[in-house]
Amino acid sequence: MLLEGLMAVMQPVTIFLIAVGVAVGIIFGSIPGLTATMAIVMFLPATYSMSASQGISMLMALYIGGISGGLISAILLNIPGTPSSVATCFDGKPMADKGEAGKALGTGVVFSFIGTLIGIAILIVLTPVLCDFALKFQAYEYCALAIFSLSMVIALTGHDMPKGLISAVLGALLATAGLAPIDSKPRFTFGLFQMNNGFALLVLLIGLFAISEVMAYAESVRKDQGFTIESNAKIKGAGFSLKEGIAQIPNAIVSSLIGVGIGILPGIGGGVSCMISYTVSKNTSKHPQLYGTGIMDGVVASESANNATIGGAMIPLLALGIPGDACTAMLLGGLQVHNVAPGPLIYEKNGAVVYAIFFAMIVSAIFMMLFMLLGMRFFIAVLKVPKNYLLPIVLVLCGIGAIGNANMVFDTYVMVGFGLMSYLMIKSKIPTVPMILGFILGPTFETNLRRVSQLASSDPFYHHPIFCVLMIATILVVIFSVRSNLKEAKRAEAEELAAEAAASAAAKTE
Amino acid sequence: MKKVLALTMVAAMTLGLAACGSKPAETTAAPAATTAAAAETTAAAAETQAAAETEAAAEAGDFKFDKTVNVYITHGAGGDTDYMARMLSQALEQELGVSVVCSNVTGSNGATCMQQYKDGDTDGYTFIATNTAALTGNEATGMVDFGYDAFEPVAIYGIQSGENLVVPADAPYDTLADLIEATKANPGQIKLGISTGGGVYIEACVLTNLGGAQFNLIDAGDGASRLTALLGGEVDATSLPYSTAADYIENGQLKSLCTLLSKAPTLLPDQPAASETIPELVIDTMYAVLAPKGTDPAAVKAMNDAILKVTSTDDWKQKCNDYSFQDPFVLNVDDTIAELKNQRDLFQSFKPFL
Repeated sequence: MLLEGLMAVMQPVTIFLIAVGVAVGIIFGSIPGLTATMAIVMFLPATYSMSASQGISMLMALYIGGISGGLISAILLNIPGTPSSVATCFDGKPMADKGEAGKALGTGVVFSFIGTLIGIAILIVLTPVLCDFALKFQAYEYCALAIFSLSMVIALTGHDMPKGLISAVLGALLATAGLAPIDSKPRFTFGLFQMNNGFALLVLLIGLFAISEVMAYAESVRKDQGFTIESNAKIKGAGFSLKEGIAQIPNAIVSSLIGVGIGILPGIGGGVSCMISYTVSKNTSKHPQLYGTGIMDGVVASESANNATIGGAMIPLLALGIPGDACTAMLLGGLQVHNVAPGPLIYEKNGAVVYAIFFAMIVSAIFMMLFMLLGMRFFIAVLKVPKNYLLPIVLVLCGIGAIGNANMVFDTYVMVGFGLMSYLMIKSKIPTVPMILGFILGPTFETNLRRVSQLASSDPFYHHPIFCVLMIATILVVIFSVRSNLKEAKRAEAEELAAEAAASAAAKTE
Repeated sequence: MKKVLALTMVAAMTLGLAACGSKPAETTAAPAATTAAAAETTAAAAETQAAAETEAAAEAGDFKFDKTVNVYITHGAGGDTDYMARMLSQALEQELGVSVVCSNVTGSNGATCMQQYKDGDTDGYTFIATNTAALTGNEATGMVDFGYDAFEPVAIYGIQSGENLVVPADAPYDTLADLIEATKANPGQIKLGISTGGGVYIEACVLTNLGGAQFNLIDAGDGASRLTALLGGEVDATSLPYSTAADYIENGQLKSLCTLLSKAPTLLPDQPAASETIPELVIDTMYAVLAPKGTDPAAVKAMNDAILKVTSTDDWKQKCNDYSFQDPFVLNVDDTIAELKNQRDLFQSFKPFL
């Protein structure tokens, strides 16, 4: 069956489809507003008439290309191309500003590749073990996981905690619009049926990152500082030395494991995994103060995690027939139309297809690295395009993406609204990233809290050890973060006082 | 010079991207006609095709389809409603000789799409592909205030493999009646996984109010999440599409107590129907094509004729057998309306306790 799977992928037609899939995926991923999910939606119907291994190979290629492509615009434009690369902006953009765009892109590409491979390796080797783990996560566990992940907001925001919390809570509140989970009661829809589906993550993302970036740039137009950023266009290899690469390996492994872990849990996804692994990487680093100033570590953490999430998400999909996010939900459909039913019997019934999927993923990862390394020079050339031409184009594409998301023009108005909101937030120094976390995790928390309340009468919480552990961990994280934040604030205050005292003393002696 | 080059690049990019931009609108022509990225060429091809094959269209009666037909699918790509609609469109494209373009407009169990297109263009080139459980269920639960009569029904063109009431294989009950007895013996302790608002919710309400069952109803989300909950032991029973549960039934982890179809699928004949225990408990989910209210009756008739024709082939039978364990099931316009009325009346009779 292994050979059969290999044979199915190693045909010219299949290889060609994979190459096309990766290329299209990268384009969709790199354009803010177009996502991996959209690429798959678009091509899924075209795979109906292909053979099972051809179709699924192409979809996998689109998936891997789409998740990887997001880093390009995150690094070059500070606008994440997909939700999965939000955290890539944190260090990628500062690197590009320092003239290290090539290095940042190279790092992102190579570690995306490594992350993908780690994900695939775990998918191949550990699937049976991890399936049980996925099944242990039910309403109670998700509830606790959502709270635990939200507590990461504190770490993400640094010393100005109240503003981080404001942002996260606003995000969670925005997510309540539309039909309520479970009972489908309309909330904040103002009688508009367009509001029934609530706000889409994609539209919020574009508003928060793309629109506000354009507005912030518009501010600086009059200060003539040259419209382009110079960058070291001469790139050798991947743009960083072997030694630098090796030093990042432990970071990449930890981040990939976090990525796989989050991928396995249905409904969380790459957007959260990159942020959490960035936070973890920062907090365990020897030089946390350098994160955000443009170092490789940050790009490595985010990009290896989001790509490893792919392998993780495939585990419950293949072995249990349970899709973890919008992308894998469509892959499930793509398999079912070929009468390949993911589930416990998939190895027995369609082993060849499963191995074909593994090989297709590996081939896609190789193509992805190849295309992106070859294309790097051209990507960087984008920075040479004057921003007053480039950003309007980006804006138009964002609008197209927002409409395409649900075939509704209404979403472009929402996009602009979010853009204005985001601009005001930036002006008042409220970070926008916690809002994305709140927006994704708020509904997870609400839905599962409501389920828990239905369950509680016949299934009390102390039967759920994972729930208890996560809740205790959350309390500890909060206590420690608050304490260290307070300490820092006190130290800052003390320093200020000391400085004042010194100043007044100096004034007196005069 | 450099600046000119840069500008040219931008222009080229914009064009390329604009071409990409039309794609995420989920507007793909039926798969047969579409090779990967030929979205734009299809429109052009449609005209020449139409000209060449007006003769073929002429067979369809008074109404001739001579430009692109739009089909709006109420559910997402990859699901059964989408698959059936796209297979039908692919066949229709050959029959009608014009392009049939499918777009998914999803959300709220199909209500978003139906709301958007129920008053759509009435020129006979706009159709909505949905399933009857969404159409009648959304009306019964009060999610929307309109039913099938807000449309011009065109055809029912297939029947689903059906929802099944599924429990772990080692559960002490083998029939629906056993399960209901067990809930009465132990009120509120047997957990039934449902998804509030959908067909499964209606099923649970009927079980409770007409079957006398006393479950603890737990929301467990969509089909995949309900499967997770059942396997993970969070719920004791739930309702799943047969195809979702098939593997687990085969390897002895789960067992199906009954189907909710009025009659077991052709290829799975051994299953008892829930209606043998509770007569009202029938959810016959069928795939339907609707047109906006006021569409030319000739167009409706012509489309129905074409559907009847393309679904009478062996190829179509094979597809139905493979995908939904069912034989083809297609109705003419009058029978379609009668069936929709039946289903609506049944669901409306549940309204007091939904």
